[in-house]
Amino acid sequence: MSSVATERAMPEAGPPVPVGTVHVFDPNPLNWLFVTWNTMEEPVRTDHEGHTVLALAEAAEWRADGGFAVTVRRGARFQDGEPCTAHSIKQNFDEVQKWAAPHPPGTYLNFHPDATCTVEDEQTCVFRFPEPDGLIMAKFRGFHIAGSSFWHTHGFGYKKTGSGEGHW
Amino acid sequence: MLAIQKVRPAFVATSIITGEDRSPRVVLEANRAHDTARTARLERVVFRNDLSPQEALDAVCDREGEMDIVSEVSPADAARVERSEHARLIAIDANRLIVGLFNRRPDHDAPLTDARMREALNLAVDRHRMAAEGLGGHATPLAGMTPAWCNGVFPGAEARRRDAARAAELAAAAGWSPGRPLRLATPAALEGLARMAAADIEDALGLRVEVIAVPPSDEGVGARRLVEKKLPLGWDVLLHPWFDLSSDMPPAFVHREFFGHDGAFRAGPEDEEFDRRFAELARTTDPDEARRQAEDVDRYCFEQSLALFLVAPQALYAVNRHVDFKAYRATFELADTEVSAEHWSRREA
Repeated sequence: MSSVATERAMPEAGPPVPVGTVHVFDPNPLNWLFVTWNTMEEPVRTDHEGHTVLALAEAAEWRADGGFAVTVRRGARFQDGEPCTAHSIKQNFDEVQKWAAPHPPGTYLNFHPDATCTVEDEQTCVFRFPEPDGLIMAKFRGFHIAGSSFWHTHGFGYKKTGSGEGHW
Repeated sequence: MLAIQKVRPAFVATSIITGEDRSPRVVLEANRAHDTARTARLERVVFRNDLSPQEALDAVCDREGEMDIVSEVSPADAARVERSEHARLIAIDANRLIVGLFNRRPDHDAPLTDARMREALNLAVDRHRMAAEGLGGHATPLAGMTPAWCNGVFPGAEARRRDAARAAELAAAAGWSPGRPLRLATPAALEGLARMAAADIEDALGLRVEVIAVPPSDEGVGARRLVEKKLPLGWDVLLHPWFDLSSDMPPAFVHREFFGHDGAFRAGPEDEEFDRRFAELARTTDPDEARRQAEDVDRYCFEQSLALFLVAPQALYAVNRHVDFKAYRATFELADTEVSAEHWSRREA
């Protein structure tokens, strides 16, 4: 059973045309995270009230066999046009799993080191954990999904520091 | 810098931000191919890091065309924004909190392992006055670790009202050594609130309170001591701001970080009862049951007075009058921000 609302569909009138420029001053030390959230997607995001809603995932649910299935939003693409698929989720998961402490706020956001991600089809991947992870949706909020070109060029800290530790 | 907490049974570490290497300007361009209702309304967002906070506030309040949104406005500046002819004040009850950590280390000489002393301090401070006067009304008094609007706040939670007489009784029973001052440390930015708390404690408990304002240049060192838990701490109570990434599961990002076996800010021995309750929650995949257990964790922290519960400050933004900015409790996102036809960027276009 999915525990969160789904992303709203595009209105029938079509997408709004972006207009205007705003200048922002944000001294918050989490600015790096806010820029990330403004430019990348995660399986889930939070609405104005702070409640979890699906974003890059169009479904996320526990299965009877203990697997956690994520269905990627149909038609999602990265900024460079590359399709975002279940393979993208797995690639980003595999990158996360390389590091002991990738998340600046702490290792709590890490997936279990023995967790796995398997691609079932272009839209569906299944996570498996040694024990049920009731906090998985909260962790997904910090699971930034980048296109393959990102990993080949910058990575999170890869180009600048040669490491993903502390840079997710 | 990386603060390593433990390596067994699992590696636990926290990165402490000691400096930021920001580009003078970071420019975000709209992704016109985005295919949901959250496609950007703005063509361009420019994060400017080439101004001081005062210059940014002046620019948004006094002029148009230079600055449109300034975040982290101080409550002390809120009235200026409200008086501005160019800017509006946007306030939101954000998922932020300011609490006091109690030094409960076994080798520490203050009786803060005694729940009566912790409750005494909670009854000594006037968190309602702190919210109303210290933060100009831009804050909500906290009952425990969960703001009232988040899932997981325990049923019936109410911020404690100051009760100086009961506080004195509890402190006497706990046995604070006569003449020993209480050392209250605080980031310099929160010194005003710390001094309000100190005055309340001195008045209620008859203790002398030493306020230790830690300058920004020393915060990294102090944070690493706290997180790594190997060197002694030089304080009894530390005012500490924190935040949450969502409104759905505060124990994961808040309670666990302060009191859990792997919590960066735990300033005492591991708490088996807390860890048992949190572990049960972390294994629960049913949302309704998880919420009940989150409430249970929150109530435990309140009943044990595990922290000096103070306030949840609002997030304040100064926003140009032609910008329709929608604030979020747990993030700062601009996907649904729009500008009217009167905005400088559209007039110039």
